[in-house]
Amino acid sequence: MPTRYLGLALKNLKRRPVRTALTAAGVGLAVAVAVSLGGFVLGYRQAIDKSIEMLGFQVMIMAKGCPYEAATLMLKGGTGLLYLPSDTYRKVKDDPGIEAITPIFVGIAQKEAGGVRDDASQKTFTVLDGIDVPSFVAMKPWLKFKSGAGYSGGKWFDPASKDEVVLGYELAEYEQRKVGDSYYATVTPFGKTDPVRHEFKVVGVLERTGTQDDGTVFLPIDAARDAFNRPKQLTILGLKLKEFNAANMREFENKWLKLPEVQVVSLQQVKTTLVSLVGTAQTMIAAVAVIAVIVALIGVVNTILMSVYERTGEIGVMKALGARRGDIFELIWLETLMICLLGSIVGSIGAWVGAGLVEKAIKSLADLGVSGSIVRITPGVIGWAISGSLALGFFAGLYPAWRAASMRPVDAIGEGAA
Amino acid sequence: MNTLIEARGLKRYYRRGSETVKALDGVDVSIREGEMVAVLGPSGSGKTTLINLLSCLDAPTEGTLTVAGKSVAGLDEDRLVEVRRGVLGFVFQRFHLLPTLTVTENIELPLTFLGRAPDPKRTQEILAMVGLTDRAAHLPNELSGGQMQRAAIARALMIEPRILVADEPTGNLDKKTGESIFRLFKQLAAKGLAIIITTHNASFGREADRAITLEDGRIVKEERTDAAK
Ligand SMILES: Nc1ncnc2c1ncn2[C@@H]1O[C@H](COP(=O)(O)OP(=O)(O)OP(=O)(O)O)[C@@H](O)[C@H]1O
Ligand SMILES: [Mg+2]
Repeated sequence: MPTRYLGLALKNLKRRPVRTALTAAGVGLAVAVAVSLGGFVLGYRQAIDKSIEMLGFQVMIMAKGCPYEAATLMLKGGTGLLYLPSDTYRKVKDDPGIEAITPIFVGIAQKEAGGVRDDASQKTFTVLDGIDVPSFVAMKPWLKFKSGAGYSGGKWFDPASKDEVVLGYELAEYEQRKVGDSYYATVTPFGKTDPVRHEFKVVGVLERTGTQDDGTVFLPIDAARDAFNRPKQLTILGLKLKEFNAANMREFENKWLKLPEVQVVSLQQVKTTLVSLVGTAQTMIAAVAVIAVIVALIGVVNTILMSVYERTGEIGVMKALGARRGDIFELIWLETLMICLLGSIVGSIGAWVGAGLVEKAIKSLADLGVSGSIVRITPGVIGWAISGSLALGFFAGLYPAWRAASMRPVDAIGEGAA
Repeated sequence: MNTLIEARGLKRYYRRGSETVKALDGVDVSIREGEMVAVLGPSGSGKTTLINLLSCLDAPTEGTLTVAGKSVAGLDEDRLVEVRRGVLGFVFQRFHLLPTLTVTENIELPLTFLGRAPDPKRTQEILAMVGLTDRAAHLPNELSGGQMQRAAIARALMIEPRILVADEPTGNLDKKTGESIFRLFKQLAAKGLAIIITTHNASFGREADRAITLEDGRIVKEERTDAAK
């Protein structure tokens, strides 16, 4: 709306800088909450999508239990593992609907105190993934070894070896391990009470993937089974169907649910579950945002109305000088929009700068089941927030602008005897 | 000369609770081009009421009124503003400059309302006419009362009105400053502008072309002065 009253509106706002700033701050706060929420909704969805995509498989077969917990485990790493008999793999793998399948044995090692930094905020356990390299890598073709000084010659371990490991990027950084170094892990074998300390040799360090793989120790599946004394078990079967759709999925699920010990979980389901769980939290934040918006709106209406009343005389004079109803309306309305614009810009910047804090706060409140960044403030989110705030300004300005525009000059100027 | 304002039987009643205040109670006036008319009378006699009606800021309760050829009695504010625009210039007792705007911005403001672009040359001319050339970039609070009133007059003149209306323009000024403002009005009238001013100063009344004296909302005296051509 290019307008000749822009300068005048700006000067009017500058007249009461504190009041204008406070009102804009109210708008800013509301916008910051809204932007953070938007960034959270968006970022969380993307984080889940990415985590799931980076699993490499669409379907998991796992021991009966809480599918949410199981999924979280896969996406983020965690404890509370349940195991399947290892012959499940043999039974399932020849299903004609399957394009690819990989067995994974997940075990949890206690944190080895040899780490360089051991602050309390860090996990006190490490995830050991026993894998079958060829089928695992087929699922995750993006896995690459880190190169450069100390990392060169990185490769997968010999499937028969008992003491070779490949480290995820972050874990290697954190533990400051390079290729050729030793890696120690303390494991309590199934059925025993005394932990056993293992010394492994690092044969490769992976590049960053942005997923739970970054914090994982990979070793041959048989070595892992040995270490945990579960020679005939596995944790999870990751699967890709030849054609993934709802019908195939149902058919596949029905077929294999006949095995008494398993559940079949599609990651689509996992995603829906995670999204709906977090949806509750998001609704609460949305409620806060709505309240902030209402409060800000009242603040804006109040400020503009006050300034209209203060300037009654001026408005009357402008009308005497030839300003039409529409001119006054436009002026006051512009002032409202400018406050909202200012507030929304400040709020967006605030939210953008504070996104890290918001992320920490959210993560400390609830376990969201994904690793990686969950608050993503994109230009799109900011664009929506600013347009939303202008839309609110549009309405907030209507009443004060109408009041001002409807003043009669004689009453407003007030130079009569009255 | 052309008649710019023609009022017949003009009445303006105010309701104050159950009682009716007859601020103006049947006034006939006509004002011609280039004529300077002073409205005199004691406080509360209806001067402001009359001048507000004649300048289309307010609507009469009764009577007929023609301003610049248009019949305006009974019009609402949205129509009255159309009559005022470009025809009437206003000067107020308390100046009423916008405090955030410089003198130049203040005097160019009415052009914005009329959708006209300011012409810097014209602005300069008018500033020179009111003697404010060296105050063009000042804010109102940096001016003396007399300077503020000159700025207000410049603002009124900017749109080249046919009628200038001033309600006690010298009321907030000292005697000497008031006289200089009054002389400025006389010069403007000499150039063909119709001017209506209200004043408590009887000597201004004698110097105008015509003086109308009100009492209790009625004209009690109307004199064509020696100053009339
Ligand atoms: N808005 C109003 N409501 C009610 N009564 C009013 C109003 N405006 C003016 N009056 C009354 O109308 C009468 C005329 O008022 P007006 O302002 O025209 O007087 P005036 O001659 O301009 O006085 P002054 O010299 O003090 O300015 C007064 O009795 C006043 O009280
Ligand atoms: Mg008066």
